[in-house]
Amino acid sequence: MNVRFFFGYVITLILFVFFGCDKNEIIEDKDLKSNLIESYIDESGNTKNSVDERIRNLEKAYSIYSTLINNTFKVEKIQEISFAYFALDDKENYRAMNEKALKLSREINDSLNMAESYAYLGLYYKSTKLDIAYENFYEAEKIYSSLDYRKYEQKNYAFDRGKVLIDLALILRKIKNYSESESLTIRAIENFVLAENNQYLPLCYNNLGIISKYTGLYEKAIEYHLKAIEYAKGTDTEVLQILSSYNNIGTVYKSQKKYDKAKEYYNKALAYKDFLYKNRKREARLIDNLAYVNFLSNDTSRLPELFFKALQIRENINDKYGVATNTLHLAEYYKSIGQDSIAREYGKHSRDISLKLQKNEELLKVYLLLSEVSDSDEALFYANNYIKLNDSLIKEERLFKDKFARIKFETDEIAQENQQISRENEILIIAILGLTALFLLGYIIFRQQQSNKELLFAQSQQESNEEIYRLLLNQQIKLEEGRQLEQQRMSEELHDGVLGRLFGVRLSLDGINQRANDGFTEARNKYIDELKSIEKEIRLISHDLGSESLPSDVAYIDAVESLISDLCDANEINFEFNNDEDIDWEVIDDQKKVNLFRILQESLQNIFKHANAKSIKINFDYIEDKINLTILDDGIGFKSTKVKKGIGLKNITSRVSQMSGVVQFLSNQDAGTKVSVSVPL
Amino acid sequence: MIDDHPMIIEGYKNTLLGENQKEYQIKIDIASNCDDAYDKIQKSSQGTPYDMLFVDIKLPPSSDGSITSGEDLAKHAKELLPKARVIILTMHREDHRIHNILKNINPAGFLIKSDLTSSELLLAFNNIVKGKAYYSATVNDHFRKMMTNKFSLDEKNLKILYHLSRGVKTKNLPNYVSLSLSAIEKRKNQIKEMFSIAKADDQKLLEEARKRGFI
Repeated sequence: MNVRFFFGYVITLILFVFFGCDKNEIIEDKDLKSNLIESYIDESGNTKNSVDERIRNLEKAYSIYSTLINNTFKVEKIQEISFAYFALDDKENYRAMNEKALKLSREINDSLNMAESYAYLGLYYKSTKLDIAYENFYEAEKIYSSLDYRKYEQKNYAFDRGKVLIDLALILRKIKNYSESESLTIRAIENFVLAENNQYLPLCYNNLGIISKYTGLYEKAIEYHLKAIEYAKGTDTEVLQILSSYNNIGTVYKSQKKYDKAKEYYNKALAYKDFLYKNRKREARLIDNLAYVNFLSNDTSRLPELFFKALQIRENINDKYGVATNTLHLAEYYKSIGQDSIAREYGKHSRDISLKLQKNEELLKVYLLLSEVSDSDEALFYANNYIKLNDSLIKEERLFKDKFARIKFETDEIAQENQQISRENEILIIAILGLTALFLLGYIIFRQQQSNKELLFAQSQQESNEEIYRLLLNQQIKLEEGRQLEQQRMSEELHDGVLGRLFGVRLSLDGINQRANDGFTEARNKYIDELKSIEKEIRLISHDLGSESLPSDVAYIDAVESLISDLCDANEINFEFNNDEDIDWEVIDDQKKVNLFRILQESLQNIFKHANAKSIKINFDYIEDKINLTILDDGIGFKSTKVKKGIGLKNITSRVSQMSGVVQFLSNQDAGTKVSVSVPL
Repeated sequence: MIDDHPMIIEGYKNTLLGENQKEYQIKIDIASNCDDAYDKIQKSSQGTPYDMLFVDIKLPPSSDGSITSGEDLAKHAKELLPKARVIILTMHREDHRIHNILKNINPAGFLIKSDLTSSELLLAFNNIVKGKAYYSATVNDHFRKMMTNKFSLDEKNLKILYHLSRGVKTKNLPNYVSLSLSAIEKRKNQIKEMFSIAKADDQKLLEEARKRGFI
């Protein structure tokens, strides 16, 4: 006993400790894993390690991540891992991580993270596949626009959305959809203002400036570029923005053929020597642009040295794009001074690089130039190439636009379809509910009407029952009255007529007899006495007829008795009927009389139909202010449990309960049936 | 002789004219209704008045409705012919009627037709002619019953008992006796008290009344 108790205690204790530990473990587990992931990510950022090692760290972080429970926290973790991959320039894993993040956030219905994941995927495709990038950004924007921003931290929401919008705008600008790009940029600016974050505003204005340049709004373009500088002021990227904006402004002026102004801005940019020293690519571009403007404005004083200076920097830093542009510029320059062969060489060089880099704009220009500086055969070849490329470019552009339009359309369509389906579902549900409600209402009304009808029917049946009874009673009373009247008449007739005349005859006979002496006097006297006794008898009959020997309420009982005798005679059954004289039927209301009459009728019908009885006994008794109707038969009876209540018994029961009375059906197999009804007066 | 049945008149004649025609000179006028009878009575009162009147109670009433029965006729006759002897002959043998007739008319003769034989009629006739009153045994019986009772019931009470005995319900009595229902109830209770059977039911009352000869 003691031992068992001890063991029980120990087991309980162990269980308690075990579960206690377990719970703590779960909490600690989460923190621990989170810390581990963080530390692996941090480690992956350690530039002292080799790239392989850093990637391994991220793989470890990912393996811990995969043991986490699905929730927002997990999504955030995988996004962090994806950033680390991005930092390591491992774009494929970056994409894979973000695709996982997207799937996970969709599973846990985290719309905000879904949008973010789309945006991150958009970033991945931005430099390679514009259409897929666009699709991802577009999905992100769609989620943002469908969300109720009031539910979220507004600034973060607006900032993230702004980023997506400007990304979309940039893509659209690239495919030359300037008007839409402009409107998206403006919406991006609005979001950034809302987010009170100016980080991307210079980029936005820059974009607006470029768009304005393409659409010929040069003044506006310059204004936007200056604004971009303004927003960059005081930030880390201020100088970079100034350089880029000045470059762009220069380009605007170049397009306007305001070469002096262009030169001014290029020179202004080139004045940032310290910065440019560390950023040779930019410097080369500025120098090349300046050289090209000089060339365009026929200021050949520093040409072709400036071109070569830029080309040299570009070749040094292996800036192929720059080299392609640079050599094209040089080719143009040499062409302008009539040295076609040199121009041709530079042109061919530019063409080769452009072909490799798929730099179609440059390539187009190169073909045009080459066709001008080459011999007629070659020139034709280049011209043909130019036309072909130009055509394909136009075609591609159109295809791109179509593709974007389709992406937009398809995603919208899916959304619309979803909306449509959900709307259809809604309509269906509403319709079903409505129909159900309607049906229910209809059914209720129908039932109501039905029960009303039933009530009305019962009422009218009641009324007609009473009417029948009244008629029956009236007929009985009239019959009775007629009979009494007739009896009265007969009584008077007998008394005054027959009796008088008989008396006269007797008296005459008697008188004559007194006088006759023929020896028959005695004999005649005997007959005269007989006549006298006949008179007496007639008088008694007359008296009986004339007296009101039957009570006037006999009518009801007469009706009852005639019912019984009619039915019993028809079915050849003996009956005995007793009515208690103490029942004053006249004061009992018609309703009760009708009901008792009907109950009797119903019971008799039952007996005739089922009981197989030879005789019936019916009693009306008056006991303690109650009328007891007893109907007894000597038929086969029934087992009260076996017989379902038929309409007959139900009618009897309902009639009795109407009169707040009691009814009893007593029966035994082969011992007849007794129906007892007791009704209070 | 006033009777609406000619057969009865003939019976009277046959009796009276047979044996008695030697002793008395009998001249008979007959009438079969009240009008006729009244006319003859009036005529005789101015001429030779009738010595004797045979009056039936049940008669067709006079055309003006003033005389409805032999009873009314007898009253008139008593006034018009004060010396005439009135003999009432009736089929009715109910106590209250007998009582009424005795009280209202006080006839010299009172014969109940159903009791009557020719010899009794002769006997009555002879008695009355001699100035003696003659009543049928039934009437005499009534007298006797009345005398043995220390008290008498008035006409209305007798009527109540009579109709009750016929089976008329108390509540229908106002149709037969010109009294209100409450008055009838009161009288019934009085009768019961007189019979010293207060609180008895109607059955008992009628039994007692029969025993005492009121019915």
